[in-house]
Amino acid sequence: MVRAYKVKGEKRKKKGENYDKEEEIEVPLEEEESTKRMKTEHTAADTEAAERVVDLLSGIPVVAADQTNKAGVIFIIERASLEIAKIGKTYQLLNSDEHSNFLKKNGRNPSDYRPDIAHQAMLSILDSRVNKAGRLKALYVRTEKGVLFEVKPHVRIPRTFKRFAGIMLQLLQKLSITAVGKREKLLRVIKNPVTQYLPIDCRKIGFSHSSEKLVDIQDYVNGVNNDTNLVFVVGAMAHGKIDKDYVEDYLSISDYPLSAAYCISMITNAMERKWKIL
Amino acid sequence: MAKTAKTSKSDSSSKKKKMKKSSKSGPKAKDMKLKAPKENPFETIWSRRKFDILGKKRKGEQRRIGEARSSAIEKRKKTLLKEYEQSAKSSMFVDKRIGENDEGLGEFDKAIMRSQRERQVKLKKNKYNLSDEDEEDFEIGASLGRDDFDEEVPFDEDDEDYGRDDKSAILGQLNSHGSQNAQAGPMEAEENRKKSKKEVMEEIIQKSKFFKAQKAKDREENDELTEQLDKDFTSLVNSKALLSLTQPDKIHALKALVNKNILVGNVKKDEVAEAPRKGPIGKEKPDTYEMLVSEMALDIRARPSNRTKTPEEIAQEEKERLELLEQERQKRMAAAADGSDEDGNASDDDSKLIKDPRTISGDDLGDDLEEAPRTKLGWIAEILRKKESELEGEDAASTGDSESEEDDGEDEGSDDGEDEESDESDEEQGKTQTIKDWEQSDDDIIDTEEEDDDEGSGDDAKKVMKIKDHKQVAIKGKEVGTSQTKKEKTTVKHQQSELPYTIEAPKTLEEFTSLIDNCSDDQVIEAIKRIRAFNAITVAAENKKKMQVFYGVLLQYFAVLANKKPLNFKLLNLIVKPLMEMSAATPYFAAICARQRLQRTRTQFCEDIKLTGKSSWPSLKTIFLLRLWSMIFPCSDFRHCVMTPAILLMCEYLMRCPIICGRDIAIASFLCSLLLSVAKQSQKFCPEAIVFLQTLLMAALDKEHRSENIQLNNLMEIKELEPLLCIRSSNVEMDSLDFLELTDLPEDSQYFQSDNYRASMLVTVLETLQGFVNVYKELISFPEIFTPISKLLCKLAGENHIPDALREKMKDVSQLIDTKSQEHHMLRQPLKMRNKKPVPIRMVNPKFEENYVKGRDYDPDRERAEKKKLRKRIKEEAKGAVRELRKDNEFLSKAKERERALLAAEKAEKYGKNLAFLQEQEHAFKSGQLGKGKGQKRRR
Repeated sequence: MVRAYKVKGEKRKKKGENYDKEEEIEVPLEEEESTKRMKTEHTAADTEAAERVVDLLSGIPVVAADQTNKAGVIFIIERASLEIAKIGKTYQLLNSDEHSNFLKKNGRNPSDYRPDIAHQAMLSILDSRVNKAGRLKALYVRTEKGVLFEVKPHVRIPRTFKRFAGIMLQLLQKLSITAVGKREKLLRVIKNPVTQYLPIDCRKIGFSHSSEKLVDIQDYVNGVNNDTNLVFVVGAMAHGKIDKDYVEDYLSISDYPLSAAYCISMITNAMERKWKIL
Repeated sequence: MAKTAKTSKSDSSSKKKKMKKSSKSGPKAKDMKLKAPKENPFETIWSRRKFDILGKKRKGEQRRIGEARSSAIEKRKKTLLKEYEQSAKSSMFVDKRIGENDEGLGEFDKAIMRSQRERQVKLKKNKYNLSDEDEEDFEIGASLGRDDFDEEVPFDEDDEDYGRDDKSAILGQLNSHGSQNAQAGPMEAEENRKKSKKEVMEEIIQKSKFFKAQKAKDREENDELTEQLDKDFTSLVNSKALLSLTQPDKIHALKALVNKNILVGNVKKDEVAEAPRKGPIGKEKPDTYEMLVSEMALDIRARPSNRTKTPEEIAQEEKERLELLEQERQKRMAAAADGSDEDGNASDDDSKLIKDPRTISGDDLGDDLEEAPRTKLGWIAEILRKKESELEGEDAASTGDSESEEDDGEDEGSDDGEDEESDESDEEQGKTQTIKDWEQSDDDIIDTEEEDDDEGSGDDAKKVMKIKDHKQVAIKGKEVGTSQTKKEKTTVKHQQSELPYTIEAPKTLEEFTSLIDNCSDDQVIEAIKRIRAFNAITVAAENKKKMQVFYGVLLQYFAVLANKKPLNFKLLNLIVKPLMEMSAATPYFAAICARQRLQRTRTQFCEDIKLTGKSSWPSLKTIFLLRLWSMIFPCSDFRHCVMTPAILLMCEYLMRCPIICGRDIAIASFLCSLLLSVAKQSQKFCPEAIVFLQTLLMAALDKEHRSENIQLNNLMEIKELEPLLCIRSSNVEMDSLDFLELTDLPEDSQYFQSDNYRASMLVTVLETLQGFVNVYKELISFPEIFTPISKLLCKLAGENHIPDALREKMKDVSQLIDTKSQEHHMLRQPLKMRNKKPVPIRMVNPKFEENYVKGRDYDPDRERAEKKKLRKRIKEEAKGAVRELRKDNEFLSKAKERERALLAAEKAEKYGKNLAFLQEQEHAFKSGQLGKGKGQKRRR
């Protein structure tokens, strides 16, 4: 026999994330089994206790405490125009307001550089009740240049644009942003393509005004099975549309062209209504 | 992997950079650069950028990997390979030809350098030579290698100076040779030689002379300028421009100064000419001019006064003041429970009272002067008025004081026992004041003497009366009657009697009554006004005590007046105003008086209620006093030392007194309305009033219906309530009731039994009820409180003989209650168990820097950051070194391999040759040619 499993203690890393998929595979079978056993025992005891409590308080609806196994939503912001450039001696996030001359000089179209759209979109996602209730699983942002980064749902993104620009600048140079006082990485640049991070049983829904399929988002969301995770792909660019390579459903949810932030708020509202998050 | 590759690239790039730099130093570099590209097609491959960042120019990134590699190999060939080749050898050839070890030099440069060296060598050799015309020849000769000593020593002792000069020059030259390189040497030497010691000294002397001259010139100019300034100033002083700007006396001083200055200036000019260094001595004593200047700086300029306020501003200020007062009131209303926050402001007298309500002595009230509202009358006006009144007072006083002393005794008798205590305290103060009066003023000695006499007699009488009081409680009633009749007579008699202008504050009630006995109502008020004006607190400090005494007297008078049978209601109303004002002036004392009276009334009430026969409802006097206090003191305070007990007392009356006759109902309903007026401000809930109103309404019901309300039955038992208000006949008329009239009526009057009275009583009850409904509509428990009443009203409306107007009113009130309670029901939330809000996920702030610069360490610990940086560099360097070594090894092994291959090839060739030779020989031998044909032929 080898040494007892209990002595080993907890694993240092949590293996819930997709990035260390390979490591997860390497976990020996025995250990997995044992952990499973432990888990089942644990959960059994828990449920028993819960039932006891429920018996005591008959007639009172008990809210399920853990929401981890519930289906959630994932947002992907595509074509965010987050690009840094060296202007003078410093690096800055390119912005049509401040750097129009610079962009013209370099033969770019200033109206394409709109980081504020991405900022608003991120804020409206992270401020939504869906996120507050813990149902936002992940948020990915892909820039126009193809840099993909992940934003943890519990990040408090700066609300002023200047600070947002600062954080993006640092992220795109340093490739990760940690939490204050912790080593946890809240934002980090990850490898493309984004599809490798999405759960298996998910439905990827893209949004574009150009799509033929015009639906009421509330009806559409209500029609989806409760267990499936939903992935919403929204573009954060000033002009154009997102490419539909990995998108399964390509929807238009309004007769009018909508801003990214409003579109997101419509989606989150629909989800909140569906899940009855007040 | 990728990272290491990257670093290696960067490393090689840096290497290449170095190479470029070194190659640029020589002129050959240009040629090389021009020639370079074409040799190796691999060298033209450029590295590509990984992240394309706009506006970023990176020199290092645009590098050619192939070229770098080949250049590195070239370098190694030159260094490492050479060393390797040398390693096996014991000696080596060192090339010391000029310019030969410097790679960057061309053939032409080398030649130049060589020729230079040649010339130098020549110069060195002919250092003892004169520079002649025939130097050319000489040089040629020297260059041929002639020895120094071959030449004759030239005229050494000829000219000392010349020789020395020359020597020094040569020495300088030598020195320059030693220190400087060959090219710059001769030129520098030429310059150095120019400055001999003598020359240098001369130069220095010249310079110092020049500076001296300059200084003298400057000084002269300075003097001229000051002179000019003085002249200008004198002209300015004499002109009128300055006069208009400054004060005349200053101008004189200035002029004097200027004149002096002119004189002094003239003298000084000479002095300056003679001894210019006397200036500083003159400065030592303080200059009059400077003194004047400093004085002018300190002059008082016209100051701006406060702007006259516009009417709007005044109104605004008034509004602000009122708002402040309201704010204070709200504060007291809300949280007077903890007195700690009010301790701070000393102006709040109530808080003080709450703090120590037991201190009875009014003497420690010295600091409440600010509270007096009558500050409109300024000091001066007050004094003027006093003087006036004093002039007139002397004649008037005699009549005023000797008015009537007879009444004192009887008046005292009319006083209730309640006033004893306050009298006592008054008496004490009165005594102290008499002493003070002696000292007060010499002008009205006569007055004070007279007064003193009065007081003395009054005191005596009082003492006597007090003793009597205890005995004569029972007899009082009769006496009152007699006294009143007497009084009426006297008032008729003395109606036209004049009032004195200056009236000392009376110290006892007798004094006061004697003062105003014969006066009409207006005169009484006038008298009070004069007393207050004369003894105003703002005039003299000791007046405070006087006024306090007078306040007690006035209150007593008020009580007496309220108890009189033919009620002088007008006078009562008129007295209220000065009483309120005075109690505002002495709030502390007023509160004490009120509390004492309240206590007394309460004990009285407790005794009365034990006696079953006697009606325990409050007398008219008590009711009036309660009303007065509710006007004087703030009703809305959370806790007030007077109002709280007063309200409690009223509630107690309502709860405990049995209702026996119709008169009781009238008093009770008046108390209810009094409570309503109190509650209106404070929004305090007093259940007693509401329950009482309910019982009154119940009393209007018939006996049959009453049994249904079990809830109130127990209350009814206490009250022993019969259907006192039940209306029996159908034709009734309602008129507004006069409370005073009602109280005047005897208890068993027929009017109380009449339906008219009942109906009008019901109207007043309903009105009071409506008032309570409006006051309490904000209470959360409103429906619970008022729905039974509304039910009762509905039932009452259904009674037979109720007049229509009354029915209408009842319905209105019940409807009002219903709508209000429905509103409350609407707003009520159901009770929730475990009403816990879901907890949102915890958000975390990201850490980022403003103006982030890549590569900078944002560690706040500088030392650690520095260390980290160094460690990183060490690592980098180590890696670089390892890489270099590996490449060197590779290169060397390649070189060795090549050598070995060369050797092997040579060996193989040799071997082949030898083998071929042997084979040939063998062939020859076997074929038998050996030693015969060929060999012989060869030898030949």
